[in-house]
Amino acid sequence: MKRIYLLLLSFIPAVLFAASDVTQLEGGFKVGPAIILILILSLFILVGVVFRAKDTTDYYAAGRKISRVGSGMAIASNWMSAASFLGMAALMYDVGYHGLAYVVGWTGGYVLLLILMAGQIRRYGKYTAADFIGDRYYSSSLRTIGAAIAIVISIAYAVGQFGGIGLMFKWVMGIDYLPAVMIGGSVVLAYTLISGMLGVTKNMQIQYIIIISSFIIPLFILTAKFDYFWLLPQIGYGSVVQDIVEGIQITEKSGLFNSLGHHFAIVPSPEYAMPWDPSTGQTFFQWVAIAFSLMIGTAGLPHVIQRFYVVPKVSDARWSVVWGLFFICLLYWSAPVYSAFGKMLSANPEVGKLAKDAIVVYTAQLGDVHPLIVGLLAAGGVSAAFSTVSGLLVAGSSAFAHDIYVKVINPGATPNIQLRVARISTVLMAIIITIIALFDLALIAQLVAIAFSMAGCTIFPLFLLGIWWSGSNRAGAKAGLITGSLVTIVALTYLVGAKAGWNLPFYDFISYYLGAWYFAWIGAPLAIAVNIIVSKLTKETPVEIRQFLIEKVHS
Amino acid sequence: METEDYKISFFKPTTERARLNRNLTLKLFIAWAVAIFGFQILLRVIEEPVPEEGLISFTTAWNQIEAEAADTDAFKAAALPVIQVLGKSSLKPEEYDVVRDALGWMVARVISDEELSSLQEEVINFNLLRNRITSLQDEEYLAAKEVIELKAGSALGVGQESLLAKLLPLGLDNDLAELSPESRMKLPDIMTTYLTHNRSVLTDTIFLGFPFHYFYTAVFLLVFFIALCWYYCYRTDKVHARLNFTEQTT
Repeated sequence: MKRIYLLLLSFIPAVLFAASDVTQLEGGFKVGPAIILILILSLFILVGVVFRAKDTTDYYAAGRKISRVGSGMAIASNWMSAASFLGMAALMYDVGYHGLAYVVGWTGGYVLLLILMAGQIRRYGKYTAADFIGDRYYSSSLRTIGAAIAIVISIAYAVGQFGGIGLMFKWVMGIDYLPAVMIGGSVVLAYTLISGMLGVTKNMQIQYIIIISSFIIPLFILTAKFDYFWLLPQIGYGSVVQDIVEGIQITEKSGLFNSLGHHFAIVPSPEYAMPWDPSTGQTFFQWVAIAFSLMIGTAGLPHVIQRFYVVPKVSDARWSVVWGLFFICLLYWSAPVYSAFGKMLSANPEVGKLAKDAIVVYTAQLGDVHPLIVGLLAAGGVSAAFSTVSGLLVAGSSAFAHDIYVKVINPGATPNIQLRVARISTVLMAIIITIIALFDLALIAQLVAIAFSMAGCTIFPLFLLGIWWSGSNRAGAKAGLITGSLVTIVALTYLVGAKAGWNLPFYDFISYYLGAWYFAWIGAPLAIAVNIIVSKLTKETPVEIRQFLIEKVHS
Repeated sequence: METEDYKISFFKPTTERARLNRNLTLKLFIAWAVAIFGFQILLRVIEEPVPEEGLISFTTAWNQIEAEAADTDAFKAAALPVIQVLGKSSLKPEEYDVVRDALGWMVARVISDEELSSLQEEVINFNLLRNRITSLQDEEYLAAKEVIELKAGSALGVGQESLLAKLLPLGLDNDLAELSPESRMKLPDIMTTYLTHNRSVLTDTIFLGFPFHYFYTAVFLLVFFIALCWYYCYRTDKVHARLNFTEQTT
């Protein structure tokens, strides 16, 4: 791994000054931001080494030594990915109010997760999502399929993160996207392999502090600089939104300019804030479908569910959700501020079309925030992607090593062999993710939304019914899983088909109602309905499973 | 919720704790659903597509242009909303080309042939400079931009300190005299799309500086989610304490 990383580093000088344009927003190699990034990554590695996994219990569940607040921070850090840090502002910058469906979807899902699952998952006491599925539905084949789905979801989720890492490495180093993804991917892989989950959990708490500080500090500067209420930028930017809607003439804020010398002015642009505006091409149905899909996806994501195993008590699992959601919301209240200032500061057509996924950093640059603070912001973006990717790689490799290798391939594997298999599968996953990320398929948040819909269609119904209805049996689970998977396959086929230029039947209808970012709105209810119907028609759940549910999960 | 044959169902609790948990969960779920989807449905139900003032003046002027009954004032009236749309950063590249084509043509209709010839030269020079400069602060580029702001702006009755004047240099292509049939056909739809918005009392009411619906969705809902979660944990701990219930872990 080290050799590969050194080999990749050797390519840097050749492409170092590749990116440059008339606005100078990309520029070449940025020394200050690069030093900040290296320092932060070194800190992560150091913490990872100090708190590295000593055995499989440490690797999977951090020894169950994490406090409520600490676990909440870890949940937030694990959750606050490149999609949150970079992608949400990008979507709101692009499609205005429609982007808020992602904000609502990615926070509202925690309410479902808490009231329907958190405590029960902790009481069930399984390490991975696949472990739960295999055990609850008394089926090794379902365990294997569950593990495979967890791996696929983790990969889909991580593709967007690698894209974010690539964008930030591109910006800091002034290199092309391709080498940036490869370098960034190598660093995050090395970090995850060194640290394991105990290191990851400790790191997540540190990462949270860095992520949230780097994200919020520029907002105070922007709001103060452009004469808005700066003491609480998350409220102060309301006037920015209203100014965008009504427009600002040059004379209104005559002494204020962006870093390119353009007046702080904008033509009336109600399309930024008005719901499902015609100019965005987005509809009310899509807003609702996205919010709903993201919410149930939240309650079905393996790496999110896995966070509940690391707290000592069941009540800690519940309270950690409250803390986690609070810490998450600190960022989610702030992301729209970037999109609003981004809209304002890039209003002059001379700025040109900006890469939406980097709008957070561009906004700080256009607002003439000090380069070192912009560098810290970029490093925060990398941290956000790192914390999530490491959690995803651990969840994915756990699914393979624990649920496929040990349970199916080699039941006699020692803990050492199991750990080695987990690490090998981590490397393989990282390679696959890097290759997919190089295609730059969609916006970061949209790529991540695919993973949410997949989880909503497959894992969410199994957990929901598995916990709350003893009547859900193996046959029902299989039928429901097949249904959810079919919906997923159709939606993704139409997404890939559109990219590849295939001529697919009923394209307009299916790509609208089974959009890749929100197909769970119908996939999840269908999977649940099929699960219930088939369970009713087939042999009852074994008594020992029902007894376990009552005595261990609901008592 | 529990029975002798170990059957459980969320909707049929058989213990006091399970019943209280079901009731609490249902209440919170309903509050959650109404707060999110109820509000968006309300927003959808009461909204009306409202055109911006610019669209109304554009439509009137465009009808005169299409009827070949437009005078200079009609072209000016049509051009100003077109510049406004040109200033929207959400404009797609293919739409940008249409709007640019139309704006140049409208400017050409409101100035004399002599001025047109001079402006045309300035525009060509400016567009050449745009492709050549390495910095937006290039003096020659800034000077060329200022000339166009002044000439085209005064022709349209737009002061040089106006935002619309600043947008003019970037909104003119090299061929001011002609409007392609394709642009002519597409322009009204583009104008309608960008100058019509779904509005209602919820979008037009200002709260803490925000349009109310925006505040509700971007700020309040998140506070509400945290409150729901806090309340669930608080009530659950209370119920467990009241029932002397200790949770076991496996």
